[in-house]
Amino acid sequence: MAALMLVVQLLMIAQRMLLTNIRLFAIQSLLLAGIAAVVAYYHNASHVYVVAVLTIIGKVIFLPWLLNRLVHRIQIHQEIEPLLNAPTSMLICGGLTLVGYVVARPFTSLERLGNNTLAIALTLLLTGFFLMINRRKALTQVLALLTVENGVMLAAVALTTYGLPLVVELGIFFDVLVAVMVLGILVYRIRENFASMDTSKLNQLKG
Amino acid sequence: MLLLTPILIVPVLAGLLCLVVRPPRAMATTGVLAFSATLGLGIALVHQVLARGVVTEWHEFLSADALSAWMVLLISVVSLATSLYAGRYFRRDVAAGAVTLGRVREFFVLTPLFGAGMFLVVLANNLGVMWAAVEGTALSSVLLVALYNRRNSLEAAWKYVILGSLGLALALMGTVFVYAAASKNNPQSLPSFNWSYLMSVAGQLDPNLLKLAFVFAFMGYGTKAGLAPMHTWLPDAHSEAPSPTSAMLSGVSLKIALYALLRFHILTTACLDSGFSRYFLLGFGLFSMFLAAPFILVQRNLKRMLAYSSLEHIGLICTGIAMNSPVTIFGALLHMGYHALTKPVLFFAAGNIHQTFHSLEFRVIGPGVVKVLPVTVLLMGLAGLAAIGLPPFGLFLSELTVISGGLSAHQTTVSVLILLALLASFCGILQQLTRILLGARKPGDHISDARCMDGVPAMTMLLGSLLLFSVWLPAPLLELLHQAAAIIGGAP
Repeated sequence: MAALMLVVQLLMIAQRMLLTNIRLFAIQSLLLAGIAAVVAYYHNASHVYVVAVLTIIGKVIFLPWLLNRLVHRIQIHQEIEPLLNAPTSMLICGGLTLVGYVVARPFTSLERLGNNTLAIALTLLLTGFFLMINRRKALTQVLALLTVENGVMLAAVALTTYGLPLVVELGIFFDVLVAVMVLGILVYRIRENFASMDTSKLNQLKG
Repeated sequence: MLLLTPILIVPVLAGLLCLVVRPPRAMATTGVLAFSATLGLGIALVHQVLARGVVTEWHEFLSADALSAWMVLLISVVSLATSLYAGRYFRRDVAAGAVTLGRVREFFVLTPLFGAGMFLVVLANNLGVMWAAVEGTALSSVLLVALYNRRNSLEAAWKYVILGSLGLALALMGTVFVYAAASKNNPQSLPSFNWSYLMSVAGQLDPNLLKLAFVFAFMGYGTKAGLAPMHTWLPDAHSEAPSPTSAMLSGVSLKIALYALLRFHILTTACLDSGFSRYFLLGFGLFSMFLAAPFILVQRNLKRMLAYSSLEHIGLICTGIAMNSPVTIFGALLHMGYHALTKPVLFFAAGNIHQTFHSLEFRVIGPGVVKVLPVTVLLMGLAGLAAIGLPPFGLFLSELTVISGGLSAHQTTVSVLILLALLASFCGILQQLTRILLGARKPGDHISDARCMDGVPAMTMLLGSLLLFSVWLPAPLLELLHQAAAIIGGAP
């Protein structure tokens, strides 16, 4: 399932439509919730079920709904307009995947879920950064940030038997929700002020 | 008696109260009262910590040692001064039509929450809770940076939130790795994810995993602390935020992120028994200091220049801690305190100048600001002299402590480098400030709206306590700093 998360990530990189991207993010989060549920089942760790449920409520249902609403409300152009074209991006992300696997190699003995979950988590982190750089629209940068966060949560599931303590999971959950709301407010205001969402127009402050 | 809980709850309540209070004057008073209360509680906490070593509450969910108590004092003082200054500042902004009343309310609601977030960072015992609290401070301050809703402030806020969130994602990864390092030998779930527990088993943690964790946490919290080269959001956010927020960001927020970083540094050093994490602090600290100097010299905007000066001071604090002798760590902690008393004064003065001249560009406001705003310029000049490290102000003392501590610990190269960087920014700030503050006004410009007494209470409060504590450090405070220095420098 972790490998499927990576596949979804690569689809997001190749995809050019904003709404499809949001749906892909929802699918990726659903996979994450599935992994958490499997871990919870095998280790009989009840609070990891809570994590799975929170992920479904927050990242599969609520955040995609919020982002969808934002897209409709500000009526933006659907195309994403990345800086690099799809083949080049795929090539770079292939390289990043390699980096992820190399970095994770010494730590494979730690994992409880097969031996590539940590590598995939690191790859999600790296390709998330790449998505951030490669896309200029404010909303797509928010999506990139969310995939980075998915990568971190995957690492948390992969490396620890029982997941992080519940209080920490709750803290992260609410922080991510609030973060997306804050980002949404900013996107809205940027759109109003600049009549555009292109972050390359945010170039006044230098030095 | 509970001490830590009220420190967290009082600012939150104050923030919620500002949602329902109508007049702006009452909202400002609420802020002042709340942070006066936390300052009082902070002083009580210092006494408790000195008497008992560590104060814990709620089954060790909250915990304060000497280092946290010192940070609590800094947060309280800067937030108090900010609330004192903000009331008048926003009254004038509203009168000038720069902000709406709704935005002013947003400020008075978010600022205490920002403060409460910072209190939680330093009081939380759990690593994950600390991370969540740092993220909370970032989110509350982003909206404060974007308060004016101008193009530039939105750009600054966007850069701040994107870089900050990416950085904090890395820090979360570091936190997860620490958890993995701790739970490696535990087949069962970990008894707790608290600092106190982790420190007690530091020797048994997986060293390689902890190294990886530290690198992630360093890049993450280092971004939030504004260490170069991850500092690019810092001048933007500091210059575009309303001046009271700039003062909070520069005065304490940077140091809070540094505090989180230091906790990882302490844990890593205790586990590895080597200088691995120290060299990171040293390299990035020195780089920040040297990067700041040329940028100060070429700056054309007052608050951006002040932001680069903060970068230099954060670099010095980092370097002082990295030199790892008891004297340099003590000096660095002292420097944190003096800087927290100095930098807000400069930002408050910059706020007055901004409101009078409607610009922060040097060519618009200078030369000869002194002819228009004599009192502001006097206080700003004094704070400027303090910031570049001239006696009798405390920053001279703390810088001297760091350098002499480094020399006596046989770290001559680093000490000389610090001295060079300090000298460079000394010249830079002195030259820039004299250029705009002194001299005769350009002929023909006419300033109709100069109010020279604005913000004087807040500024004199900070400058007065800076002078007082420069010549007289009370015995409990001295003891507290020594204990905090011992916590950081516990291992080689």
